[in-house]
Amino acid sequence: MTSVASIFTFLTKRRGGLLTVIGLIFVLTLFGVIVSDKFGTYSNAVNILEQSTPLAIVSLGQTLVIITGGIDLSIGSMVSLASVLLSGLTAGDPVMMYVAIVTILVLGGLVGIINAGASIYLRVHPLIVTLGTGAILQGITLLYTQTPIGKMPKGFDELAYGRVLGLPLGAVFTIVVFVVTAVFLRKVPLGRYIYATGDDAVGAQLMGLPRRKVLFVAYGFCGMMAAVASIFLVARLGAGQPYTGQNFTLTSITPVVVGGTLLSGGRGGVIGTLMGVYLVSLLNNLLNFLSLSTHYQLIVQGLIVIIAVSVYVENKRKV
Amino acid sequence: MLTISKVSKSFPGVKALSDVHLEVKAGEIHALVGENGAGKSTLTRIIAGVHQPDEGTIEFDGEIVHWASPAAAKAAGIHVIYQEFVLFPNLTVAENIFLGHERRGFMNGIDHSRTRQDAADLLGRLGVKIDPDALVAELSVADQQMVEIAKALVHKVKLLILDEPTAVIAGHEVELLFGRLRALRDDGVAIIYISHRLEEIFELCDRVTVLKDGQFVATEQVEAMTNDSLVSLMVGRDMSELFPPKAPVGQTRPVVLSATDVSVKGRVHNANIELRAGEITALSGMVGAGRTELAMALFGGLPMSSGQIAIGGETFRKMTPSLAIEKGIGLLTEDRKGQGLAMLMDVATNISASDLNSVSKSGWLNHSAEQDIAKSEIENYRIACRGPQGAVLTMSGGNQQKVLVARWARTSKKVIIMDEPTRGVDVGAKAEIYRIMRELAAKGLAVLMISSEMPEVIGLADRVFVMREGVITGELGAGQIDEQRIIQLATQKRAS
Repeated sequence: MTSVASIFTFLTKRRGGLLTVIGLIFVLTLFGVIVSDKFGTYSNAVNILEQSTPLAIVSLGQTLVIITGGIDLSIGSMVSLASVLLSGLTAGDPVMMYVAIVTILVLGGLVGIINAGASIYLRVHPLIVTLGTGAILQGITLLYTQTPIGKMPKGFDELAYGRVLGLPLGAVFTIVVFVVTAVFLRKVPLGRYIYATGDDAVGAQLMGLPRRKVLFVAYGFCGMMAAVASIFLVARLGAGQPYTGQNFTLTSITPVVVGGTLLSGGRGGVIGTLMGVYLVSLLNNLLNFLSLSTHYQLIVQGLIVIIAVSVYVENKRKV
Repeated sequence: MLTISKVSKSFPGVKALSDVHLEVKAGEIHALVGENGAGKSTLTRIIAGVHQPDEGTIEFDGEIVHWASPAAAKAAGIHVIYQEFVLFPNLTVAENIFLGHERRGFMNGIDHSRTRQDAADLLGRLGVKIDPDALVAELSVADQQMVEIAKALVHKVKLLILDEPTAVIAGHEVELLFGRLRALRDDGVAIIYISHRLEEIFELCDRVTVLKDGQFVATEQVEAMTNDSLVSLMVGRDMSELFPPKAPVGQTRPVVLSATDVSVKGRVHNANIELRAGEITALSGMVGAGRTELAMALFGGLPMSSGQIAIGGETFRKMTPSLAIEKGIGLLTEDRKGQGLAMLMDVATNISASDLNSVSKSGWLNHSAEQDIAKSEIENYRIACRGPQGAVLTMSGGNQQKVLVARWARTSKKVIIMDEPTRGVDVGAKAEIYRIMRELAAKGLAVLMISSEMPEVIGLADRVFVMREGVITGELGAGQIDEQRIIQLATQKRAS
């Protein structure tokens, strides 16, 4: 089987949207280079990659959840809670740092499992479940602290600003986890069941596929990724802040839908999401160069989500 | 292979099965027949482990079993091909075939090329040419069914259950299916074959078990039966008693609605159809032939991509449901629960739903007027319920259907469209609904019925339009309506 040919068919026939996104990235880059001579520089490219790391990781988790046909709206609050816990528990102590990291990873996974469990056993739509847990997590965060809290040991900011082979550490990490997840989805049966569950939940049940396991894994992974993202955020900001994750709920969905994952589930993938992340980050960066207020970024993001979803809905009907 | 004794199953408000027996041997094709609502699907789902019986025992392969889940039944060698396929449209053919039984390769990961290869082999054994890499969403219904059968071949299947397999395929495909089933039988597989088409049972099956209203009627050798004796077992009375007399022949009745070259993107192609006052017109054809889509287009529920609709001298190139209602068209959807009735609300609310103006005064709902109307309609259509405030949810399918008829008959002065009006309704209620439909026609309405049940089309309709693959392949008038003509039109290839 010629893999080049099959990749080509895959891109053109099954994931046509991906080519569009890559095309848009190209066009935006070109536009940026024309309007500003600082845009096309190596340091700006590195800057974009550095800034995109937390978003990429959060969106990765969100992708799996959305493929199952669900959604995780608690993710922003989870990032906030994990980041204040990380720096708060660490309080500058290198040993406590490891304890804190393990704690938030476990907590993130646990919250995801609770989200999945509530939607399975209480039969409440994930939209509502995660909206609820999101509010609870934000409340706990604010009870814990209302200001930036704690600090990280020296050298922790290497995570945010360090380089591997000239690339930001975070960007390399991002690519590794995305590739691992892509392989999981493609090579491990459970990965395929994630698609099947999102495609037709009743059918999956009739076939005896492990629907509950699928949901526990997807939401658990999503919660854990929120915790991982908070590690990179804290590395960048120096300390956890109680509202630091606030925007991630919407912004984690944007790259997923831009990358061609259907909100109704069953179709899509993480590579599309990664392209979506780069597209969104590039756009935000470009808006900075145009000296527009960061508030415009929010407006543009909102528009992108709606446009992207409408484009793919139309695609689905044609099939 | 399988022995079911004294199995009963209730759902809230319905006794789906009571005291049912079924015995299927290895190496036989056993037909399971009965009217809609006789309990065939429930029984199938119990055998497949989807439902658990309230009472009774299931013995499979020499052991008493209690399936906790479909997976357990599947592991024991039971494979069900449901009427609604269990296929995942966004996965490829090969991925669907091996879903749950992935072909493993390097480091126990999914081996995509072996998956593809093995899928191609299985499809080859079935004698069909289907690309293993195609998305299931891109396949025709017949090919999707072949994928379903290929799925059964992946496992060492001991009992194969097919629920209405030929409802969606025709001609050569049916022959192919039968050949495959006979080969499986000769390999010692037990097969339960559920079908409404009696001629298939005579052609294919060894024994037949009849269910009626959730109860066991008889198990017989197929050879010992005739068409008529089987029908009378199923229905419990003679078919002809079900239908009211047709509209008198020889009168010309005015056309109330005529559709010219109506197309619905990808579903209906240039359909021409005329509906006449005082007649029951049937749209016949296979499931998926575009009947529902055409009806929806007439009602404005789906956008027309071309064509026009003329109603009483006015011509429309665009139709919307509100415009259709204003012009006197009503539509009773196939899915009563999802798209028709507000299940949690009472009878009165449901009846007045399409015509709130008639029960309002200067913008305020007049509840006593609503109740009065409901009372008279309940009487008019003989709806069995606890009065205007009875909950629709707890009523039988037939009575729910009557509530919908009552609603639409209030606003529909010209055309009433009924999509599968007797689906899931018992025989007694069917006769009632047929009578009501005939009365509506006699009042001067044009009634358009979509039905997959051949006896219903033949027994009730004054005129039949047959569709295949989105095209109207023929019109049959009085004296021409018979099973052979309809099937021929429904299955013939497009002349192009």
